[in-house]
Amino acid sequence: MATTFKNFLNNDVTNTRTLLHEAIPVTGTIVSGTYITNTETNIKNYAHGMFQSVYDYPYLSSSANHIFDITCGFSASSPLSSSEPALVTQQEKKINIYNQFSQILNGYNATGTIRGPDRDGNLAAGSQGYEESFFLSFARMLQKDEIKKGSFSVTLLTGALVNFPTGAANQLVIADHGAASNYKVNSPAGEYGILYTSSAAANPNSGVGLIYYQAGVAVITSSVFGSPGSITSDIRDEPDGAGSAGEPAPDGYGTYFGSLATASMTSWECFASQSISGACDGFRNRLANISFNNTTELNSTIYFCRANHNEFNYSSNPTYLSSSKLVVKNNATDLPVSYITTIGLYSSDNEMLAMAKISEPLKKDPNTELTLRVRLDY
Amino acid sequence: MAFLDNSGDIILDAVLTDTGRMRLARGDGSFKISKFALGDDEINYGLYDKNNVSGSAYYDLDIMLTPILEAFTNNTSFLKSKLITIPRTNLLYLPVMMMNELSGPGRAKQADVGAWVVSVDSNTTTALVNGGLANTNGIIQGDNPTNPSWGIVVDQGLNTNEIPATFTLEGDLTENQYIVEMDNSLGIMVTMGGTAAPVSFIDDDSIASYFITQGAGTAAFIKSNLGSSTTDSPIAGPRGTRIEFSVKPSVELQTSDYLFTKLGSTDITTALATAVQSTAGGAYTGLRFIDAYVRVSGGQTGYRIDVPVRYIKVYNA
Repeated sequence: MATTFKNFLNNDVTNTRTLLHEAIPVTGTIVSGTYITNTETNIKNYAHGMFQSVYDYPYLSSSANHIFDITCGFSASSPLSSSEPALVTQQEKKINIYNQFSQILNGYNATGTIRGPDRDGNLAAGSQGYEESFFLSFARMLQKDEIKKGSFSVTLLTGALVNFPTGAANQLVIADHGAASNYKVNSPAGEYGILYTSSAAANPNSGVGLIYYQAGVAVITSSVFGSPGSITSDIRDEPDGAGSAGEPAPDGYGTYFGSLATASMTSWECFASQSISGACDGFRNRLANISFNNTTELNSTIYFCRANHNEFNYSSNPTYLSSSKLVVKNNATDLPVSYITTIGLYSSDNEMLAMAKISEPLKKDPNTELTLRVRLDY
Repeated sequence: MAFLDNSGDIILDAVLTDTGRMRLARGDGSFKISKFALGDDEINYGLYDKNNVSGSAYYDLDIMLTPILEAFTNNTSFLKSKLITIPRTNLLYLPVMMMNELSGPGRAKQADVGAWVVSVDSNTTTALVNGGLANTNGIIQGDNPTNPSWGIVVDQGLNTNEIPATFTLEGDLTENQYIVEMDNSLGIMVTMGGTAAPVSFIDDDSIASYFITQGAGTAAFIKSNLGSSTTDSPIAGPRGTRIEFSVKPSVELQTSDYLFTKLGSTDITTALATAVQSTAGGAYTGLRFIDAYVRVSGGQTGYRIDVPVRYIKVYNA
């Protein structure tokens, strides 16, 4: 009997899982500097003022892609929280932001209290958290299913210059060193790693932030903008030795932090006197580079379409016949031949559910057997 | 739709069709791939030069250079010609399907428009009858499809003079299942007696598929033992089976002009239009019409033929 379909057998179908990675570089000039005519047109601020969005192109353009959001906040136990609200701009919103990220990323302790980001990820050892932090949350378009462990790094400008410090001496690279084989799993948001300033000093106390791989959120302590060599020094220190209202006695180890608008402020002053978007402006101006590899998890079904030697050797193509005679044969003893360009995958009721095209015709005759491997990704 | 890059390794470009995505989204388990077919839509076997003096390696040189298009997501756009499995390798002839306009009155297409014409309502039928086109070839009275002879007939067999029609077509070349596809929003498949055929499924583009398998329940559709008369079939050689059916217009076509306005046009010049424009025909302005096709495929041999169909309806401006 002539047939045009062939049923799949059990060993003709298999399932696989593949992880695909793409390198994602985000240069600092995109984040601040490239689109700076009048206003930074690729930076979107909102009326609620709780976060700032970074696009790769002026965001009013349909070509623009959302890259990531920046926001900042401090915990209820930060000295900034105990200050008079009038002295701290958006104090309540900054606490809310901090708590929101803490809820999502760190959950609650046994008494139901929100747990802040833990410096070493050892929750049992008690909390030694980041009281004042910047939060970078990456768009799903960039991070896809998750950030690849051990691939995340951020280069920050931490020198004492007021505006746009340059040069290797002023750059601080923080990365999730060693996270490919050493990461934490005690977060309700999935796996996370610790961001260190150096691969050689990958001990918990040298951590300056956390990277949550599935959530696509990086938490970076504001203390990272302390002067070089004293990353964990109090961000309230000021390099000029002059203290501002509400600050402790300065020790001269701090560094300037800020944008054009907040040029001479330390990160502490930014957290206190600037709005969230103002502090984010400062952070963007100190951001030289972000790079990571994203991960896409592909679940695939592979169909092996096997054409045996005695199958699919004839065609129903109208050009295959001339007055019902095969145009590829001179006489009956010649072997039939056909050419494959398309594979159709069908349901049992003959509805085509998927199709595949081959980039060039494949010759099929009784001397050949072919196995065409069609992979459908989900 | 671009061509695939054929400059390097062979690549395979696979997509889910629109129907596949619809079934996947439905989540009811109807997305289950259970079989495959191979096609050769781009191939023109006329380029096969089996007498090339340089040898057999040169026979298919032009065919192998055929550029291949990317995969379409429309489930009906490809696999129009499938490869066939027949274990025998010594076949020199394969059966075809042909429109049969010989086997009785009313079975030829309407000569003026070159298609089978379906009158969608009684006003149109009455106007055609009064205008002198009663029982004319190719006009299916869709409002009253009980006229026993009017409809579409397709014959299958070897269309060659080299084998006499008195020979019996081998069993593995005789079609015993037909697949008829038509736009369900325009019409449905019925017997020439007006009995609706059971629809197998309707896809996301509203294309209805009817699987008609030879048997006791489908005797009104599939006929065998076609004889050897040259006045009864266009098939010159041995004959297989015949499928005959009619078309009943959809309720929407009967009751509304919406689809005629959206998909169709108007006709004031053909013989059909002038018939309904005459005083006897009702003095209508003309006809609205939609041109469509009904696709008939062989379930075994995969051969397919597109039958042109025009739905018409009288109108006044």
